[in-house]
Amino acid sequence: MTHVALRVNGEMREATVPPETTLLQLLRVHLNLTGTKLGCDVGDCGACTVIVDGMAVNACLMLAGQADGREVVTIEGLATRDRLHPLQKAFEDHAALQCGFCGPGAILAAKVLLDENPDPSVAEIRDALAGNLCRCTGYTKMIDAVREAARELREQGGKGAA
Amino acid sequence: MSGKQKVQEREKTIAPPVGVEMLRVPAVVRPAAYPIETLVPEARQQTPAVGQRASRVDGRLHGLGQTRYIDDLAFPGMLHARIKRAGIAAARIVRIDTHGAEAMPGVMAVLTGAEIPVNSFGPSLQDQPVLAHERVFHAGDGVAAVAAVTEQIAVEALEKIVVEYEPLPAVFDPLEALKEDSPKVHPPHGNVYTTKVIAKGDVEAALAASHRVFEGRFRTQMVEHVSLEPHAAIADWDANGRVTIWSTLGRITLARGDVARTLKLAMNRIRMVGTIVGGNFGGKNEITQEPVLALLSRKTGRPVKGVYTRGEEFTSTTTRHPIIMDYKTGVTREGKILARKVRLVLDGGAYCSWSETTLGKAAILSPGPYNIENLRVEAYVVYTNKTMTGAMRGFGAPQVCFAYESHMDDIAAALKIDPLEIRLLNAFGEGSVSPTGQVLQSVVVKESLLQAAERFGWREGRP
Repeated sequence: MTHVALRVNGEMREATVPPETTLLQLLRVHLNLTGTKLGCDVGDCGACTVIVDGMAVNACLMLAGQADGREVVTIEGLATRDRLHPLQKAFEDHAALQCGFCGPGAILAAKVLLDENPDPSVAEIRDALAGNLCRCTGYTKMIDAVREAARELREQGGKGAA
Repeated sequence: MSGKQKVQEREKTIAPPVGVEMLRVPAVVRPAAYPIETLVPEARQQTPAVGQRASRVDGRLHGLGQTRYIDDLAFPGMLHARIKRAGIAAARIVRIDTHGAEAMPGVMAVLTGAEIPVNSFGPSLQDQPVLAHERVFHAGDGVAAVAAVTEQIAVEALEKIVVEYEPLPAVFDPLEALKEDSPKVHPPHGNVYTTKVIAKGDVEAALAASHRVFEGRFRTQMVEHVSLEPHAAIADWDANGRVTIWSTLGRITLARGDVARTLKLAMNRIRMVGTIVGGNFGGKNEITQEPVLALLSRKTGRPVKGVYTRGEEFTSTTTRHPIIMDYKTGVTREGKILARKVRLVLDGGAYCSWSETTLGKAAILSPGPYNIENLRVEAYVVYTNKTMTGAMRGFGAPQVCFAYESHMDDIAAALKIDPLEIRLLNAFGEGSVSPTGQVLQSVVVKESLLQAAERFGWREGRP
């Protein structure tokens, strides 16, 4: 068994899991954070994208043990009780969540982009979402949503708000 | 009035609770977080949805990661099921030895085809086994299933199941499968399991009278739906002999019938719960592993969850029919179609599934949206020892559209006619009659073509 201690959405979490447990299983099964989805389990679809130390990571390809001591952000860590993250708001407003299965992964991949680049071009957004496959919504609405969220975040930043 | 204002107006009309009412817990708890404002249409008014940007009512939960798809549900004591796949396209099953798997710690039950009360299902022909028994029809067939306390143990247990096969001749090419002497996929039946013929006018005479006759063969490939959420279900057989099945299916009533048939159980003993579906596209229209999970739950007395791997999605669920499409068209010097012959051979894979529907739609639409006086369409679906084909967006329409429009382009190029003109010359108009005799109304093919050509600069863009 492997003991892991990591920060998930700002909170210290610990678990003792079989060594073959992936970060995805740790989050979904052991920590009950089911917002992170399993789509292919081989790192192709991006439905399991989470943020590890500021980087977008396929949680199905990372062992829980490798996440020991790291900072993980999942889709559950974005909104507060009274406020959606601007990306979540924009994805909802632009109808970029049809069946929604790829949504959490796409939103987190977009967050990593916007954290690094507050004013990305369409090409840069496409590049950032290249690892997140979608079968029903389509990418156009997601790209519109990311641009809108970027605008919103820049305005908030300008006003000095968090 | 905005949606928010409407909600506020409505709330004003609700009388404040008085007396004992105040002590009652409200029937619907006020949301503590994530309030969603939805438009409330007023009675006897035109629906406000028309002309408005509407957002999905469940969109917010999707974005928050709060939507519960099947794999996000868990019940106390729940087991995990996995299905062993044949890996051989056609074979007789000589023997299945499950002892090794049963002896593994953590394995709670093993199931084979012999234990399924009625081992066949399908929406039109019941030709698909729930788990292959005695004979394997394609490599993705399940041959045994395991329920274990963890998914990992279930996967390992599959390795311990020994299946002895006697390989049988297989057929993979639909044109081969059409031949009399080809191996039969479902003996004693022939490989052609449904046909459709549409005949109108005198095709041979019209072809003979044509200025030129064009022939072409068009083929499409097999396509998997690849919905992001794999097929998944949970079955819970309770002590009263009733089974509840949560499944990512689009047609739960049909599924209930199929489950009742395979389990030989009265329908009122089965409760199907359709959960939020993470993509369907026609691929989640019928049952897959549901009877297996139900029987494993009955054996163990515990809820059993099954989630297909991405690999199983490709090998063991339905796909889009590949079609081999032969076209022969006689035209006048100006490009007016006088006669058309079409032969469609649909590769049905190992089981019928929704092939009848697909065949019908493909055949009726195969001449294209054109006025053709003399027509003959012959369409066949054949069995092959491959992954079964079934419903997928359009039921055969996209395949034939690719063929007839490519054929039209070939004819236009050979006759040196503008591709738009040849379509305008032949296209359906108001009151045109479809290949099966339906008089068509609200026909705007020509108008749509002209508008589209105008918008994207068809004429200017021509070199």
